[in-house]
Amino acid sequence: MAYQRIKVMLALVLLLASTTLGAAEPGGNGDGLRDMQCGGACHGDASQNASTSLSLSIQYASQVWVGQPTEVTVVVSGLGEVHDHELLGIFLLSSTNANGDTPLSDGWEILSDGHGGTGNYVEVTSNGESNSIEHTWVLRTDDLGPKNMYASIHHGDSAGSSQGQPFFGISEGYEVNVAPLPENAPRLSATFEPASIREVGVSIQVPIQTEHTQSVNVEWRAEDGAMMEATVNTTGENEWLFTLPASLKPSSVQWRATLIGEGPEQTTPWFTMVAQTAPEEVDSGPIYLQGLAMALLLFGAVVALQKPQHRKEDPTKVYDNTAHIESTHVADQEGAPAPLPEGGLPPGWTEEQWAWYGHEYLAGTYGSDQQ
Amino acid sequence: MISSNTFHVLSTELVVGGFALAGLAFVFCMIAPMLPSAFRDRQGAGDVVAHTALMFGLVATPFAILSGFSSAPGEALNSALLANKMLFSLSGGGLALGVLVARWRNGSGVWDSTQTRLIQGLAGAGATGCMLLTASLGGKFTRGESLLDWLHLPYNEVLLMPTFLSIALLLLGCACAAVGFRSTS
Repeated sequence: MAYQRIKVMLALVLLLASTTLGAAEPGGNGDGLRDMQCGGACHGDASQNASTSLSLSIQYASQVWVGQPTEVTVVVSGLGEVHDHELLGIFLLSSTNANGDTPLSDGWEILSDGHGGTGNYVEVTSNGESNSIEHTWVLRTDDLGPKNMYASIHHGDSAGSSQGQPFFGISEGYEVNVAPLPENAPRLSATFEPASIREVGVSIQVPIQTEHTQSVNVEWRAEDGAMMEATVNTTGENEWLFTLPASLKPSSVQWRATLIGEGPEQTTPWFTMVAQTAPEEVDSGPIYLQGLAMALLLFGAVVALQKPQHRKEDPTKVYDNTAHIESTHVADQEGAPAPLPEGGLPPGWTEEQWAWYGHEYLAGTYGSDQQ
Repeated sequence: MISSNTFHVLSTELVVGGFALAGLAFVFCMIAPMLPSAFRDRQGAGDVVAHTALMFGLVATPFAILSGFSSAPGEALNSALLANKMLFSLSGGGLALGVLVARWRNGSGVWDSTQTRLIQGLAGAGATGCMLLTASLGGKFTRGESLLDWLHLPYNEVLLMPTFLSIALLLLGCACAAVGFRSTS
């Protein structure tokens, strides 16, 4: 018995020893709005992360105006030197609290994450050709004064001794000073929200709302970097409209506007417009119906097949003979007493005994039960 | 308050844990007569574990499905993966409910004959398989990878039946259930 327990214990120890304490997720988690703790928690336990060898820095405009969009670029360098990276997760953060640390928590609004979304976390793929990656967000805030920014990264290693191990790193803090815009400077309206997604094969008209602006020039560039100018039409006071041509495949273009007015000329950040295939329209009804049908069919099949099993019993076997006994007893009682034998009652018998047992006496069976 | 994503993870872990334990116990009970007597004698404990864990997993399943709806991006079922998740989770739920009802009606007698033992064991293990496949689809949807990637399953294909066939199967299921319940009287 003790030997068996030792064998079980050894098996358990072997199983535990064969597991890894942490594991990166090579498929990633997708872009989104995430706190820094996801860089550890998504791997199971933040304490299992190793420090990355990559270096991080943040670049931002020299003048960040209150209420106006501004670009913030995270630069990741050192790729391919120590680890074999395939997918990198990059965070833009406002603190190192690990939770409640997205730029939204510090009064920023994320207008674009460069991937067609508005999150602070993006996943980018290393192309293996360059040892650095840049990724740009467009933010806006209505708060004046200094604000801190951090960049964070998490990734795995797809080769070598640390294959599958999670790595994590965070940059030093960068202070961004948000200043008031000169009073008469042309600017984007506070209601301006840049569209970031469109369908493949469809051209899109992009509206721009401005203030203190007399004219607008728009330039745009495709992924190959070729720069083009768009024709801008006015649709009202400080209302502008330009058209981006259709994209033939899922891709992205970037555009920016130069606002001209009485005050100093202003150039907006590059806004990213992602073209993607429209998801197919799905009628959920038939799927729910099919799921319900399969559930009910499988339930019914099991219930029908597992019918309660009755034990086979002898149908002739009767346990309750009360009625038979009573009827017999009543018949005996109601029947006439047996006729007396010649010479009268047998010796020692009373009339009452004869009335009950006289038939058995004549039949010669009286007393056979007691023998 | 926790987000629907976190609640979905919590409830799916309960479902997967319950069903995985139940699946192991069902397989054990199914093959118990072929095992040495030291294991065979434990079939009663296996029976209790299998059905209790299955019931626990089944109770947690609606929470997982509902929280999955609210945590999925965009419209519900806008992805083949999500549609397959729905089909597999409902199929697993139906099987599990049938197994529990059969156990409730027959008692531990479901393990007495070879036929009922096989049906009970295979249905219980099948319910577990459906739920584990559902969980695997969830991993594929959120992280792009799953434990069952090595099987190269066609996750992005939905075997969608015509509506009339679904209705026919629905009626057939009702008829089967009615036949099964009538046999008690």
